[in-house]
Amino acid sequence: MDRVDDVVEHKKNDYHQAVEHDVLSAMKKPGIVYYVALLITGSCFALGMGLWLYQILVGMGVSGLNNPVGWGVYITNFVFWVGIAHSGTLISAVLYLFRARFRSSINRAAEAMTVFAVMTAGLFPLIHLGRSWFFFWLFPYPNERLLWVNFRSPLMWDVFAVGTYFTVSSVFFYVGMIPDFAIAKRFHNGARKWVYSFLSLGWKGTFQQWKHYGKLYMFLAAFATPLVVSVHSVVSWDFAMSILPGWHTTIFAPYFVAGAIFSGTAMVITLVVPMRKIFGLERHITIDHFESLAKIILVTSIIVGYSYLVEFCLAMYSGNVFEADAFINRAVGPYRLWYWMMVSCNAIIPLTLFVRKWRRSLAFLYVLSIFVNIGMWLERFVIIVTSLSKDFDPYSWGLYKPSLVEAGITLGSFGFFLTLFLLFAKFLPVVAISELKEVADE
Amino acid sequence: MERYEFDDKHGFVEKLEKLVDSGVQKQRINTYTPYLVHEAEELLDASQSGVRAFTGAGAVTGLATGFAFTIYTVLSWPLITGGKPLISLPAFLVIGYELTILFGCLTALVGFFALTRMPVIVNMFSAKEEFSQKFIIEVGDEVRR
Repeated sequence: MDRVDDVVEHKKNDYHQAVEHDVLSAMKKPGIVYYVALLITGSCFALGMGLWLYQILVGMGVSGLNNPVGWGVYITNFVFWVGIAHSGTLISAVLYLFRARFRSSINRAAEAMTVFAVMTAGLFPLIHLGRSWFFFWLFPYPNERLLWVNFRSPLMWDVFAVGTYFTVSSVFFYVGMIPDFAIAKRFHNGARKWVYSFLSLGWKGTFQQWKHYGKLYMFLAAFATPLVVSVHSVVSWDFAMSILPGWHTTIFAPYFVAGAIFSGTAMVITLVVPMRKIFGLERHITIDHFESLAKIILVTSIIVGYSYLVEFCLAMYSGNVFEADAFINRAVGPYRLWYWMMVSCNAIIPLTLFVRKWRRSLAFLYVLSIFVNIGMWLERFVIIVTSLSKDFDPYSWGLYKPSLVEAGITLGSFGFFLTLFLLFAKFLPVVAISELKEVADE
Repeated sequence: MERYEFDDKHGFVEKLEKLVDSGVQKQRINTYTPYLVHEAEELLDASQSGVRAFTGAGAVTGLATGFAFTIYTVLSWPLITGGKPLISLPAFLVIGYELTILFGCLTALVGFFALTRMPVIVNMFSAKEEFSQKFIIEVGDEVRR
């Protein structure tokens, strides 16, 4: 080995130590900013839970749901949060299979986001049920009524799709962390050392362990990829399998999957920008990583914009007056403001990312990601509410306005999600240490 | 037992190559690395990991379970809903698809635990032989597990 090589190797080893140090210092005793943030998100969550209790005690009348609009903000939130989850799997699994190296800096945060977003999403069918305590009727188990669930219903597919998604993404999240727990245990004492030791399951990085681990990780990624496509397709079929104008269309599955990845990537930026700043991870999560995410947003935004256009054309050329009217109603009807806000946030504003300078500006990306989050929430709202409020027969038409209780529970869901994310940032390794080392040595 | 420690992958792989070339029995060599070193895998044991068989078996079982279970339930209480046939295979495919993935992932995990004999309960909390940033080669007297 000559001298130059020597120096390079020396630096690499320094980098290994730096990754461990930087990532694990994020797990040290937090500052005041952290506690304030936790207090705010925790209070929002508590408020949401309180309002849910209020809704259970008083009845579903406290929401704005009515006849004909029986699905409103709760179902919007469900679809929104499932969508948020999707980019986590995209970043951790799909980009892994494509050997996109930039994923290593952000995949852990994205996977955490997936697990927490699915948990948040899972609350909403329960909140929407009204009699939440009967949720177990959704599960197929032998019962005294001798009845089974209806497997021909898309709502039943949802139970299986979302249940599988939660299980698989949790396994993926945990398996990815096993080597990092083994590192974390070295850096801690007392109770936390015990917990990390236990979670690392006795990982030592032996030949045999790595060999099978590599295969396991590959298989999990290979399964998660078709899973992520199927989950949002199934969610879209909750709508598309019905005969309602504006819902009953074949474009829904791919359109929902693209939208999900679009919104989820925006949420990754929303979360990782402050996380990187607070924990001083600038060295490991660089502007190049954000630029790659911005490109994903740009591509999916174009797909979403294209879908809006195609959807409109499909309706106009369908020769079906109900279908055509449903789309005209979206653009010029009572919910037009939300429709045009959705189009601007999702299909127009993100086009600014064609400019390289803006793509590489964190402040710009951060603001943009918030617009995308709002736009994608509105997309689900517009799809659900406009179609329900104006179906076939004018006699049954009606408008829907979300109540304060629904708004509060929505705020509570953000509180729940962000509280979980804050706890994750403090207690688990926020960046995949082993993977970063491997990438650095390549 | 011989033990070699390296700070970087380069020296580690070189030494490993030398050991294998000099005729040391591959099964006696164990390594500890901070990440998966593909060169080591090629040198020591390029055989297919058993995780694959576990995953395949799980996936097939999941698919079969998905169809068998849905068909069993509709036949045990034949109730036509929405004018669709009792055995609606396109609808049941969704369940079969999800269970293929679910069972495949869970058996992959089980297979990983079985093959690596994890969790390692003995010495789980001790500081001995910790996972570190060193690349280590051990040539043992016994065959590696």
